[in-house]
Amino acid sequence: MFDLISEIMATLRHNKLRTALTGFAVSWGIFLLIVLLSVSRGLVNGMESMFSQRDTETVSIRGGYAQKAYKGLKENRRIRLKDSDLGVLASQNANVVGEVTARISNDTSKVTSSKDYLTGGYQGVYPAHQHNDGLKMVKGRFINQNDINHTRRVVVIADESAETLFGKEDPIGQLVKISDLSFTVIGTYETEWRRDTYIPFSTARAMSGGSDQVNNITVKLKDVSTLDESDRAEQDFRSTLGRQHTFADDDSGSLWIWNRFSDYLRSSTAMGAIGMAVWVIGLLTMLSGIVGVSNIMFVSVRERTHEIGVRRAIGAKPASILRQIILESVAITTLFGYIGIVLGVLVSQGIAALVSGSGGMGPGGKDEILKDPTVDISIAIQVTVVLIIAGALAGLFPALKSLKIKPVEALRDE
Amino acid sequence: MIISLKDINKSYPGVVPLHVLKDINLSIEKGELVSIMGASGSGKSTLLNILGILDNYDSGEYYLDGVLIKNLSENKAADLRNYMIGFVFQSFNLINYKNALENVALPLFYRGVSRRQRNKLAMEQLERMGMADRATHLPAELSGGQKQRVAIARALITKPSIILADEPTGALDSKTSKEVMQVFRDLNNDGMTIVIVTHDPGVGEQTNRIIRISDGRII
Ligand SMILES: Nc1ncnc2c1ncn2[C@@H]1O[C@H](COP(=O)(O)OP(=O)(O)OP(=O)(O)O)[C@@H](O)[C@H]1O
Ligand SMILES: [Mg+2]
Repeated sequence: MFDLISEIMATLRHNKLRTALTGFAVSWGIFLLIVLLSVSRGLVNGMESMFSQRDTETVSIRGGYAQKAYKGLKENRRIRLKDSDLGVLASQNANVVGEVTARISNDTSKVTSSKDYLTGGYQGVYPAHQHNDGLKMVKGRFINQNDINHTRRVVVIADESAETLFGKEDPIGQLVKISDLSFTVIGTYETEWRRDTYIPFSTARAMSGGSDQVNNITVKLKDVSTLDESDRAEQDFRSTLGRQHTFADDDSGSLWIWNRFSDYLRSSTAMGAIGMAVWVIGLLTMLSGIVGVSNIMFVSVRERTHEIGVRRAIGAKPASILRQIILESVAITTLFGYIGIVLGVLVSQGIAALVSGSGGMGPGGKDEILKDPTVDISIAIQVTVVLIIAGALAGLFPALKSLKIKPVEALRDE
Repeated sequence: MIISLKDINKSYPGVVPLHVLKDINLSIEKGELVSIMGASGSGKSTLLNILGILDNYDSGEYYLDGVLIKNLSENKAADLRNYMIGFVFQSFNLINYKNALENVALPLFYRGVSRRQRNKLAMEQLERMGMADRATHLPAELSGGQKQRVAIARALITKPSIILADEPTGALDSKTSKEVMQVFRDLNNDGMTIVIVTHDPGVGEQTNRIIRISDGRII
């Protein structure tokens, strides 16, 4: 076996230029495949991590403007969601609705400490909003059910807001004033593009002066798995609220609905399609590499007709010629395939380093479009197997052709 | 009797098939140094290729060292060539990217002999041909006569029963031709059976027997 390999290496070394040209095609193909694969994997990873921080199985609803006149009501009516809608949504769509939560937003209040103040008001929320908004706690905790049950005056702020309010001091346990009421800071979250101030829903309700309006309702879906089901649930919510607030089912402006689950399903499909496309492109590139190798091996067999004849004359069996040609092809393919892999992995790692080094591509945030665009070992092994098979295939037909060379034909002196 | 041909006929197919060898009967004894001579196109190379199991014949019987050479499988033919026959060609037919030693050793590669053993035996043959100091030279770095010595070393390394040489001096000047013929005569003196195809009467004269062939017949 070692002999055969050194025999093959000798012939490859002899035909350096040809070997290099063939090899380049293979390297390039593999290189592209690896880079494409890793970038697409990075895209998928990025997508998944973006979704996984948030609750994907939710539908958020806000009131809008009813555009159409309906049941004697004029067009352009403001639709305002209210506390009672939560219960109605849950009871009328019991088969698809898990938890229903709501949010009260106040845009005008200031949040003040002894040092400084924040504008932007506050959000009265449920515990589930931590996940809905994809908040990562830095210190303390988020609002919990007890806070809501006891209408506690507690507040969760962004870590950068905490710096504004308290400087280097530990924000947990500090007091702030909102609308002249004092609140205790119980947690801070990592600042992304969002810097909202969160207080318990019930507390916000108590501060809203008798109003029963909510700014948004978030429905957590259950037992919904397909895009159809998800879209249908969304339509059902619209109908339910249409009966409550008297607007037409097909009046799309009446509510702003963000169906995260449908979005998620759609982008998953898109990601799957990207993955498929990358494989197809990669395999086609590789195929052209293989055809290239096969071509070159044909030329090589033609050029070496005489040599093969000499080998046959001095006792080479057809099988050993066959083996030699195929192994030459495998050697070229794997050797240069590996060069392609190594370069591809290096470039992928470079991209990965660049992406994480720049702290992501989100607007001032850390939403990474590409996350860990790398190639793992199992892919490398798969690629090796594919390379060997590809090389053998590329060499097969030229090798079979070499068998047709009769020693006497080869030895005829031109 | 190492070679025995009985009524051998050979035609090359074509629109008009070319009957190249006609009822050839020929015996060659062990230890003979024989030349085959004849005009160009008379069928000398065709005959030698049949003797060397490089080509088939249409009818008749060919015994090589008692073995009937007929309808052999490719593998069997390859083995017989490897074990029984050493070839020497007009154009040397060395592999141009292998050095002298590797060229000489190549037949043993197909016999599965280890590299170390191969190289040792190849070196012995090169020494015998006076070529030991050129062992690592590529064919392109050798003169015609040196190349032919390497080719003869390659033919000898398998310890064949017979050496078949097609115009071994055809590409050499007269001085080198004489040297190469001297090599063949020395080998023959050591007991090797040798068949040489040649145009050159001077070469023919140095053999023990001349077989003349004309238009596919022995005369
Ligand atoms: N493969 C082939 N197909 C058809 N005809 C062939 C083939 N090989 C040889 N011939 C013909 O057979 C005849 C004998 O050829 P061969 O090579 O045996 O002659 P030769 O005696 O060796 O001649 P030279 O001295 O020129 O080498 C020639 O007419 C040649 O053209
Ligand atoms: Mg001839």
